Parts: sequence; C-alpha cells; structure tokens
Amino acid sequence: MTDFINDLKDTFVKDDRWKYLTNGLVNTLIITFAAALIGIVLGFVVAMIRSTHDKTGKLKIGNFICRIYLTVIRGTPMVVQLLIMYFVIFATLSSKYKIIVAILSFGINSGAYVAEIVRSGIMSIDNGQFEAGSSLGLSYSKTMLYIILPQAFKNVLPALANEVIVLLKETSVAGYIGMEDLTKGGDIIRSLTYEAFLPLLAVAAIYLVMVIILTSLVSKLERRLAKNERR
Amino acid sequence: MNGANEKEMIVVRDLNKSFGELHILKGITTTVQKGEKVVIIGPSGSGKSTFLRCLNLLERPTSGSISLDGVGLLTLKERDVNMMRRNMGMVFQHFNLFPHLTILKNITLAPVKHKLMTEAEAIDTAEKLLEKVGLSDKRDAYPSQLSGGQKQRIAIARALAMNPEVMLFDEPTSALDPEMVGEVLQLMKELAEDGMTMIVVTHEMGFAKEVASRVMFMDDGQILEEAPPQEFFANPKNERTKLFLSKVLV
Repeated sequence: MTDFINDLKDTFVKDDRWKYLTNGLVNTLIITFAAALIGIVLGFVVAMIRSTHDKTGKLKIGNFICRIYLTVIRGTPMVVQLLIMYFVIFATLSSKYKIIVAILSFGINSGAYVAEIVRSGIMSIDNGQFEAGSSLGLSYSKTMLYIILPQAFKNVLPALANEVIVLLKETSVAGYIGMEDLTKGGDIIRSLTYEAFLPLLAVAAIYLVMVIILTSLVSKLERRLAKNERR
Repeated sequence: MNGANEKEMIVVRDLNKSFGELHILKGITTTVQKGEKVVIIGPSGSGKSTFLRCLNLLERPTSGSISLDGVGLLTLKERDVNMMRRNMGMVFQHFNLFPHLTILKNITLAPVKHKLMTEAEAIDTAEKLLEKVGLSDKRDAYPSQLSGGQKQRIAIARALAMNPEVMLFDEPTSALDPEMVGEVLQLMKELAEDGMTMIVVTHEMGFAKEVASRVMFMDDGQILEEAPPQEFFANPKNERTKLFLSKVLV
C-alpha cells in the first residue's frame, strides 16, 4: 500500500508533475473546441453547397471542389494531414504557432465529416418542406435558413455531438508535431518516471470523464429540442 | 368584350410537361377568370396535380405558356418567380406544415420574412386567420399536436396570410381521416363564398357539385371536358367522362 502511495507521489506530486496533465488538458480542450468550431462552420458551408447542387443542379464548380476536399480529407490519415500541415504547408511558420496549425488541421479534417453529416440531415428533410417554403414565395436561401436547417440540425445533433467526441480523442495525435496535449503530458511523465501504468491510466480516465460530460450535455440539449416536436 | 378580358386571371396555353420519357401534360389550354372556382377531377395519374404544380412553377413546364394577370410566368427570373408565388397560395395533400415552429409562427413566417408586415402586424393577422379557421386555441401548439383536419386548416390559414389572389388546392382532403374531411371542405366553401379565386384538385364530387363554377375533367394529360357542375354531372358529353362518373358516383 505504501508502495502504491509512493508511486502516486512520484508520478503526480513530485516536481509538480501533475502540471503536465493539467496544462496538456488545457491544450487538448483549446484544440478540440476551436477545431470543432472551424469544423462545424466549414462543414455547414460544404453541406450547403453540396445539397444545393443536389437539389437545384447549380454550383457545379463549388460542388466539384467540395468533393475533392471530402475525398482527400477522408481518404488520408489524420496524422499524415497534421504532419503535412506542420512540416510542409506551414514549414516556415515559427514553432510557437504550433497550436494554430493543430487547430487548423483538426478543424479542416473534422469539417469533412461534419459536412456529410449535415448534408444527410438536409437531404432527410421531406421535399414537401422545400415546396411549402417555395409556395409561400420564400427564396431558396430563406427556405434553407428558416425551414430546412433548423429541422436538419435537430436531426443530426446526435451525430454531430459524436463527431466532437471523436475529435476530442483524435487530438491525442497532436504530440506528433510536439504539441503538449493531454496524451503527450502523460507520456512526458512516463519518460521521467520510467513508469507507464499510472500516467497512462490517468490520461485515459481524464478523456473518459470528458467524453461522459459531453455526452450528458448533448442528451440534455436533445431533450430540450425534442420538447418542441413530439412526433 | 374588353371588360371580360380584364377579368382573365390565369391563361394557360398549350402547356406540356414531360419527366424524361414520360409525357404527363399534353397541351393544356384553359383560362381562369377572377373569382372562379375551378374543380379539377380525373383518375390518378391523369396529370391534374402536375398541372396544378405547374401553375406556380413547382414543376417547370416543358413547353407552352402560363400567365398570371397578363404577366408571362415562364420567362420570369427566380426573384420574380418568388414574387409571383406570393400571389398564389398553395395547399398540399400532406399539409407540409413546419414541424419545428408553433402554429402562430407557421403562419407569420412568410409575411415577416418578406417584410410585408412587422412581427406585431403579422401576429395580429395570424390571430384573425386562426379565428376564421376556428383554431385560436392552437396558437402556441406545434403541428404534431394537431389532427389532420386541424393541420390542413392551419395550412390554409398559412397560405391566406400572404393575402393571395388565387388559391391552389392539391387534393387537400385525400390524406385525411373521413371524419376530418368535412371541416376542411367547410372552410374551403367559406373561402369560396368570400370570393376567392380557387383551383382545386380533388376527389370530392359533392364539393365539386356544390362549390365549383366549373368542373374540369382530365385524363391522360389532357382536359377532356369542362363545364359548369350542373351540366357536367347531368350531361357529360365525353365517353371517358361518363365512364369515370359512373364509377365514382355510385
């Protein structure tokens, strides 16, 4: 028992080692939420272009560009995209902007998945809703904004939340470009103490707790939205 | 005859519509006067709904011409198509209410977004319309809490909120439970008495007899016969019309 307490002290307390975890967690959260924001904005824009093309046949060039984006992003590993962003595209950037590069990479990556989620949500709305909007003289964009998107958003909310959760876990590869995120923080402790069990367990537990919190927030939001519409 | 010409509201000439190989409308020509109540009947697949949907360009005709108040519709730009649609209310078979909005918001959405009314004016108008359709108590309910008949009455109120010149009804009672049909037909009857120009696709022969100023029989993408209801039901001239009526008027 005393051994275990000594291990705990050695792993987390000595030299303020717990700070590797808390600082890492802060970075993980910053990257996750900033990237989720970029991903959702980008995803909505791409989804709008794609579904407008599917519905009206317009925006051919936009749709073509979006399809290339989706194919490339979804067809290559996240880590490779991150490395290319850091070592190729932003190679000349000072390394103190690492976090910006990480946010951009994860945001652009997430956008591709969000786009297809949102598009499926838009396409799932009955065409009668578009027709009702049109028959009232609403333009395509107003119909989209006031009638289709609110309903689509509600339908895809669980999938969207899932994407944020995936993103949170995915940011654990940020260490590849030397970001000190949560995973990297635990890894640093491991390399200092030559003891893998406790720091990695702590890292896993923290991810788990955050995912549980996110999941419960989403189900609360879902219940609030569902109040409006009992089918 | 100049006076009569002024009252011509919708003029359709040689309207054709194809979906790929499928030729749905085959040269429809007709005129609807202001204040007229045209009831279109005919077997399923005869093109009556497609014809109605062509009138407000929910379907793009393949050829021909449609004009509303003397303005040709098929050459309009998208913006002007939207302007034109404000004057044509449409009621759908499946209501197509907006499920995420309250009944009040369903009605006020279009007038407010078009900036035709302020929010307060729109609410005022909506409340009057709700009274007219007898559903004032459903003001803050959501569509899913309403019966089919109530939904359709709200859909009619929503279309009326735009103060249209003409109302198009696409089988408004076909998706309703039989006991709900009456309330919707009653409302449509009142609307007709108020002088609204109406074009109604329906299978309700009683409604056609009672309300129509002209009954139009369509089959295979063509208008086979049109006449005032007394004449139409008593003395159908076309063989196909006779056959149809003998089956539906049992």
